[in-house]
Amino acid sequence: MNHDGWLSALAHELRRRGVGGDAVRQVVAEAAAHLRDGGGNPMQVFGPPATYASAVADSVGRPRRNPGEVLLEARGITKKYGRQTVLDGVDLTVRSGEIAAVIGANGCGKSTFLAVCAGLTGVDKGEVRIRGSLGYCPQDGGTAGFLDAGEHFVLIGAGRGMSREEAVRAGHAQAAALDWEPARGKQARHLSGGTRQKLNLVMAGLGEPDVLLLDEPYQGFDRGTYLDFWHQVWQWREAGKAIVVVTHLLNQLDRVDTVLELTPARKAVA
Amino acid sequence: MDQDRRGQWLRGVLAPCVLALVAERESYGYELAQSLDAAGLGPIQGGTLYPVLLRLQRFGLVTASWQDGTAGPARKYYRITAAGRETLRHATADWQEFSAGVASILREGR
Repeated sequence: MNHDGWLSALAHELRRRGVGGDAVRQVVAEAAAHLRDGGGNPMQVFGPPATYASAVADSVGRPRRNPGEVLLEARGITKKYGRQTVLDGVDLTVRSGEIAAVIGANGCGKSTFLAVCAGLTGVDKGEVRIRGSLGYCPQDGGTAGFLDAGEHFVLIGAGRGMSREEAVRAGHAQAAALDWEPARGKQARHLSGGTRQKLNLVMAGLGEPDVLLLDEPYQGFDRGTYLDFWHQVWQWREAGKAIVVVTHLLNQLDRVDTVLELTPARKAVA
Repeated sequence: MDQDRRGQWLRGVLAPCVLALVAERESYGYELAQSLDAAGLGPIQGGTLYPVLLRLQRFGLVTASWQDGTAGPARKYYRITAAGRETLRHATADWQEFSAGVASILREGR
């Protein structure tokens, strides 16, 4: 690989890992200066772009920025299924430009909490206030088996006041960011699980909603797409959106602003 | 020197060595690599050196500024901060104590 090819691959891998624009420029310029001074093969001097980008991302840490106004506020959310209390007085506040991770063991109510925030599930007690528009990406479902991706974009776009062309164009641009080129006429039921989740994720972001609720949307993603997904989430944060992500993968937690840990369900004592 | 062993030792001492070099005078990555090599630590690749510099910068032990070279490209120069000098003083004292201990044990076992 020549210097320029390696350097542009490095820039791409750094952005994938959420390194900010200015830091990317500096790291690439510094590597370029080093290679001009010392020569040598960048694969030997710095290693593969992905490996070096990971080392850099770990070293620079996450930039801090000032959070904005509160876009999502959940207060005292309590939800029971029969005698089982799934959520017991859960609070969460997410501001513009913040990512909240919802973590916890299987069955502790993560998806229920997100569905409550989305207004799809009622509560026994508590209140959710959302400021602005809302995008929701469910863990599964959410797609119509006999429609192709473009038709999904048009359908969801219509609900958000977008024209057909606008919705299709935005949908394809978002899909490309996830390394996916939707084929015309390919029905959703024929897509792989991972690709269907890409479709779900693109639909959640259509029309630039202010609040995004993402319920483990990366299931079935390969590693590269998983990084693209987090890159997308960080871009949404940069754009001032409030994002809630259900996740069980702890290695991304240093890249979020708030962590809400839910505890397993308790059965009422008779 | 055995390369695996050298790598393991470097992991522990590279950051304080870099800090000591920029304490003498401000310098840039490639020049620091040459100084480390000249001092007998062997060639340090960019992939090893720059993450160390970025961490030192992140923790406020060095600051960086871009300066035009007399000939050629702009370079990122690193300079030690007051906090960096403080850390270097502690690291140097710790290293002297630690390496004296290692030396005495290795002498015994000869």
